[in-house]
Amino acid sequence: MTTYTICVFTSNTIGLLNRITIIFTRRRINIESLTVSETERMGVSRFTIVIKHESREEVEKLVRQIRKIVEVLAVFGYLNDEIVYNEIALFKVATPLGAKPLDVETVNKQHKAWVVYWGLDYVVIEKTGSEQEIFAFFEYLRQQHEILEFVRSGRVAVGKTEKGLVEYLPEAEWAYYMA
Amino acid sequence: METVSVLPEIETEPVAMKLMSGSEALMRALLAENVDTIFGYPGGAIMPVYDALYDFQDQINHILVRHEQGAGHAAQGYARMQGRAGVCLVTSGPGATNLVTAIADALIDSTPLVCIVGQVGKKLLGTDAFQEADVMGVTMPITKWNYQITSADEVPEVMAKAFYIAQSGRPGPVLIDITKSAQLELMTRPFTYERCQSIISYRPRLVPKPDQVEAAAKLINEAKRPYILAGHGVQLAKAEEELKAFAEKTGIPVATTLLGQSTISTDHPLYVGWLGMHGNYGSNVLTDQADVIIAIGMRFDDRVTGDASKFIKQAKVIHIEIDPAEIDKIIKAHAPVVGDAKEVLNALMPLVDPNDHTVWRNEFRKYDTIENEKITVPSLSGASEKIQMGEVIDLLSKKTNGEAVLVTDVGQHQMMASRYYQFRRPNSLVTSGGMGTMGFALPAAFGAQVGAPDRQVVAIIGDGCFQMTLQELGTIVQNKQPVKAIILNNNFLGMVRQWQQLFHQRRYSFVELQNPDFITIARGFGMDGHTCSDRAALSDSLDQMLAHEGPYLLEVIVEKEENVFPMVPAGASVSQIRLE
Repeated sequence: MTTYTICVFTSNTIGLLNRITIIFTRRRINIESLTVSETERMGVSRFTIVIKHESREEVEKLVRQIRKIVEVLAVFGYLNDEIVYNEIALFKVATPLGAKPLDVETVNKQHKAWVVYWGLDYVVIEKTGSEQEIFAFFEYLRQQHEILEFVRSGRVAVGKTEKGLVEYLPEAEWAYYMA
Repeated sequence: METVSVLPEIETEPVAMKLMSGSEALMRALLAENVDTIFGYPGGAIMPVYDALYDFQDQINHILVRHEQGAGHAAQGYARMQGRAGVCLVTSGPGATNLVTAIADALIDSTPLVCIVGQVGKKLLGTDAFQEADVMGVTMPITKWNYQITSADEVPEVMAKAFYIAQSGRPGPVLIDITKSAQLELMTRPFTYERCQSIISYRPRLVPKPDQVEAAAKLINEAKRPYILAGHGVQLAKAEEELKAFAEKTGIPVATTLLGQSTISTDHPLYVGWLGMHGNYGSNVLTDQADVIIAIGMRFDDRVTGDASKFIKQAKVIHIEIDPAEIDKIIKAHAPVVGDAKEVLNALMPLVDPNDHTVWRNEFRKYDTIENEKITVPSLSGASEKIQMGEVIDLLSKKTNGEAVLVTDVGQHQMMASRYYQFRRPNSLVTSGGMGTMGFALPAAFGAQVGAPDRQVVAIIGDGCFQMTLQELGTIVQNKQPVKAIILNNNFLGMVRQWQQLFHQRRYSFVELQNPDFITIARGFGMDGHTCSDRAALSDSLDQMLAHEGPYLLEVIVEKEENVFPMVPAGASVSQIRLE
């Protein structure tokens, strides 16, 4: 099984998520993770969908089916080495009185993770990185502390080519998003 | 008691400035798209639109069907004849879900439809209101595009997009779900309508890339045994003349798919038959001998390829197709050419060398002789006790000079109609190919007749299929359309029975029908008809039907257990075709 990251640029309309995901479910392809957000262009959404598949050919067919959706502006399928990608994870870790203190130095320096919230008897730690790095950190924490909650985001990714989005979505057609 | 005096409203504003309701805007949008016919069925959530329609009756011919599925198939028949979108208008909930089969059928057979569906008011969305169904969700996988209108102001722009998307590129069905509140409310600005010319995220390629055309031309010019497989895309592109000219210049034999039938006249010397499970012998098996396949506007359906892993493995494949997602989907293309069939053929024409390929073409004739001897002659000989299906079609073909529009249902009669009708005119077969929808023919024939009033429309229907949509006899009679319908009655679900005979040791599992008296039913609807069970009376029966002024139902009692051959068993390779 090879991991593929599929980036889909669409105009931002209701129901589009469903229209995209049924293309996967109809072919019995499981979506490992999915992230959607508006891009720097106003009205343009970016879907980052991670799947595992044995056949590159089938993934290419899938990409062409997604491209066929009327609201889809562009679709790219990437292998892991063609992108820079990351995920974000939050860990809620119990720190009651008398428990082993959190080794903040190891957390910071070895795992590049940060405490983002201090509760009365728990902390929330944020860690960004690859799936492997996040699970390595999970293992470390689990051995030291009680993990009350753990959540991991979907992957976000950008292609390693020198091309920017502007090549596919000309500036003349899409204004930039201003917060 | 207080008396309220109701004064007649006086229009003080000029019409152009008057703010319009969503319903009226919808009517004006249809007129702007030159829609003159719609097929529909009213109900609660679409009543404001029907109320607006009341004022437009002289400009828009609304046809009241008997079931929403009938509206969908009628719009499909109409669209195929007219070469533009058929329009349906139905209510929410069951009205919309009844349309689903026709929408799915239109998607897989690339038929342009604009389906306008009522929806509960915006405030009731998601509350399980009366006749609320998630029609957007239901139709998402079976439409080219769908959209929910929730405000009157959206109507002009969305309708323009709907027609553009349905009719451009690879055509398909579009569904517009319009809330009752949007139908009722007034627009906040004056109505203006601009037909949609392009959509930023949707740019179907019509004109092919020159390098793709050159690569294809090179393969064609080097080929020793080239073979054209022409599909529905040729007809959708109205490229029949271009196909003929291209084939004649290059001398390349032409086979068609089921939906590609009638794009080239069956008496053209380059026509070698049709492809598929029950297609012709030579046209099927010689796909294994071709060195270059030129597939035009077709999608390598499994009924054409049989076992796709063994199909045309020896050949270089040129795939001319408007939908890029079809390229390499089933069969790998060595030279894909993305574009409209007409544009591509025009671009190829000056690049291809004249040729004639006589020796190769004669190969097909050898197989024709065998097919003729083993199948065609016995099927038409009249030697059996009862009439055989092929005899009816053969006679009909002769009596109509191959110029009728044939509308067929799904099953044995469909295959027999395709086998034995000799198509002489383009755009003459309307059938449910991809979806295989039983019950398609009667409403589709009605729609085809409305769309082509000058043509003789004949529906060929099985006794099973007929009972799925027979209520549309009422629509045909009420609208005085001279549709001729022939039921080939063998008292069986014949195709399923054939499979059970051949592959399930004659274990006939629920395929025999106790049929009603079809002619009495037709008469009940006010339609004339008669039954023919005697071979000697068949010719006169067909004459009587064709000469009849209005609609007519002819029931022909045929041989009960006749099989359709040739047959490529499901999942087998094309070379394993059976002649008996």
